Amino acid sequence: MHRRQFLCSISAAGALITLPSFSSSDQKNSVEDLPALEGKLTLYLGRGEGGLYENVLTAIESRNRNLELNIRRGPTAALANAIVAESKAGVQRADLFWAVDSGAIGLMNAEGLSQPIPQDLLSQLKPKFRYTNWAPITGRIRTIPFNTTRIKSTDIPNDIMSLPESGLSIGWAPAYASFQSFVTAMRIIEGEDATSDWLRRVKKTAKSYAGELSVVMGVERGEIDIGFANHYYCLRLKAGKPEATVDLAFTKNDAGCLVNVSGVVALSDKDLSTNFIRYLHTLEVQSYLAHEAYEIPLIEGIAQPHGIPPLDSISPPQIDLTRLSDLNPTLELMRKTGVL
Amino acid sequence: MSLWPRSYPPALAVASFALLPMAVLFLLASDADSFFLEHHLHLLSNTLLLTLGTVLGAMLIGIPLAILTSYVQLPLGALWLIVLAAPLALPSYIGAFTFYAAFGPGGEINNVFGIETPSASGLIGASIVMALYTYPFVLLTTRASILSQDASLINVARTLGMSLPRAIMSITLPRAMPAIATGSLLAALYAISDFGTPAILGVDTFTRDIYIEYNAFGLAKAAVLSIQLLCLVTLVLFLESLFRSEPGNTGQPLSICLKPLHITVVFLTVIPIALLAIMLPLAIFTLWLIRDGSGDFDYQIAWNSTYVSILAATFAVFLALPVAYAAIAGPVGRLFERVTYFGFGIPGIVMGTALVYLSLQLPALYQTLAILVAAYVLRFLPLAVGTVRASAENIDSSMTKAARILGAGPLEVFHRVLLPLTMRGVVAGGALVFLESMRELPATLLLSPAGFETLATYLWRVYEAGYFGRAAIPGLLLVVMSGFGLALLLMGERRAEFGLTNKK
Repeated sequence: MHRRQFLCSISAAGALITLPSFSSSDQKNSVEDLPALEGKLTLYLGRGEGGLYENVLTAIESRNRNLELNIRRGPTAALANAIVAESKAGVQRADLFWAVDSGAIGLMNAEGLSQPIPQDLLSQLKPKFRYTNWAPITGRIRTIPFNTTRIKSTDIPNDIMSLPESGLSIGWAPAYASFQSFVTAMRIIEGEDATSDWLRRVKKTAKSYAGELSVVMGVERGEIDIGFANHYYCLRLKAGKPEATVDLAFTKNDAGCLVNVSGVVALSDKDLSTNFIRYLHTLEVQSYLAHEAYEIPLIEGIAQPHGIPPLDSISPPQIDLTRLSDLNPTLELMRKTGVL
Repeated sequence: MSLWPRSYPPALAVASFALLPMAVLFLLASDADSFFLEHHLHLLSNTLLLTLGTVLGAMLIGIPLAILTSYVQLPLGALWLIVLAAPLALPSYIGAFTFYAAFGPGGEINNVFGIETPSASGLIGASIVMALYTYPFVLLTTRASILSQDASLINVARTLGMSLPRAIMSITLPRAMPAIATGSLLAALYAISDFGTPAILGVDTFTRDIYIEYNAFGLAKAAVLSIQLLCLVTLVLFLESLFRSEPGNTGQPLSICLKPLHITVVFLTVIPIALLAIMLPLAIFTLWLIRDGSGDFDYQIAWNSTYVSILAATFAVFLALPVAYAAIAGPVGRLFERVTYFGFGIPGIVMGTALVYLSLQLPALYQTLAILVAAYVLRFLPLAVGTVRASAENIDSSMTKAARILGAGPLEVFHRVLLPLTMRGVVAGGALVFLESMRELPATLLLSPAGFETLATYLWRVYEAGYFGRAAIPGLLLVVMSGFGLALLLMGERRAEFGLTNKK
């Protein structure tokens, strides 16, 4: 009943929601069990997720009438730089920083700006995603979008390292942050030499795009057979255009199916900040983001977005995500191989 | 030792103010280890070619439209100018993205009409798209200069048997050269510092490397690269300074009435430009609106954009006046004027961060409306300086001297002679600052007061998320509100016209 009201308040904010059904045993992460949020809170939101994140934030606000939430949106790197500038000037504006990029989180950690996350909050997360000074919110998988009229999923090798020899035409977005995180993962897993070699081999035939949405659009238009992109671009494209001739393939246990996350850093040690993070980890919010934004929930027992196989059936590589913030050696490799 | 011209002290103050973000940039860059990339040469040639292509395109579209909108009496009058200037308010990444989505095999034009079009990409595609979003620089500066010229020269030439096109070519245009050069300079600086268009259309320019470093949290390296980019800005500034003209008399502008047949021909040439630059993005967004549905939209946002932009335009022209007069008064003033341009050649996101550092010097004002307007003024001051200076250059100094001999004090000369004669430049400069502020993004995101959203930040938000249908309404509002702001400014121009001549 109360949950319905929460969802109604989301609906009132303008989105049409059809909800995944919950099993009644999963009540422990519900918004019902959380303390009310009271006071002023400033959130720096490092992405522009249209109405969806807005709807979640609006719903949280309408449940907590005494919460005065200020949101500043911007590119993750620009907000991270602004937070560093503020701390140098002794000004604190942001209580929380929600970043798409584990690189930005690494910068906050390196500058000593992130506050520790309480143990009980960590224990709600899937075991692979527990970190002491930041809280992952949702995940995204590296995927191989492919054109369904030109090739079949079985034509795509399930080993990212042998992809260049598959004879398929490839699209990529080397200047894009998600792609650089993926190359960083490859560098950590396979080593510098193998990664340089891979970059050189792909470069021979690859077509470059500005961003990964463009890569997926390029695949759909048949400009290329396959591409490298985060999973949600394809799912969102298909949501608006169900007849789109594009589908997703996954590699096995390598950087090609890396699961990266967006995460929140607490910059002030208010209880309000950590309690706010608890709201983002609820069943309601996680299911909503999975269902509407096609993001991967990181709390146990919540259904995956439609259109991708369950997280357990994908075999992502084991990697400490904060290590992905070490971007400089990656940029160097990419420049040395002429990719950038 | 002679006394400094009166315009120098305020001009010096404004120039120092304009140099503050540059000082921050140098401080940020000092953190970087020595840093230079070998492949910069390749990027440099791409940047130069794109700049050249953009400037040529902007002149090709902007100059004829300036002649048209200043001389020819068209039905609907000023509405044409408003529509033709509006592309300047649309963010270039929006334009580039819709061009990318509309053209080419599998593009929306192909989907809807079944016509195969070449894809908009590469140097030529990027130059065309960039020209479509920068020609209003040339249009507005050139128009302001043409309107301040005395038409009696052309009338004399025509009485003596010269054809109208030849008279325009050999009388009007040479005298409008400084204004054309200023407009082209602004288009060039825009092309040098823009990231969105070349990135989306697949041209690797200098800004791409700056963005890569910036996004990899290498702020110091991004600052170093931005400073290296300033060499290019210096070159463009030097080239522009080569165009000077003799001052001439100001007076009644030429007014041409066309036959209906000619008007039809004119419309057939003008409409495609407006169609491509404004209608295409709006049409594509509307298509996506129908496909995906729209979200909720808060109309307050449109008003937010409009009034900060009007504030920025007002302050910018106010500060630009002394700089523009100083530039004409002597070589030192000229230097003051030149340095105000540098900020416009710095990529937006780096400039945005420099402005964050700068405004944190006044923590009480950080993230307030006052700081946001100051940031716009700092970013877009050169737009106002350039246009005011270009129209002030045409003023014969004997006018002001005559006024002084007849007993007017310096303030009265400014008020009764100088200002009315440069009013068209002031209005055009204000219009440019207004339109650029409407689409400004990086500084707005970082420096606006809490909860303050503009059309540009809203467009960015839905674009980033891939919800393009939701860009239709704010996109349309951006065009409508720009029209509204321009109409306000043009009313100011008409009042000046009224004061100058007795007709109308």
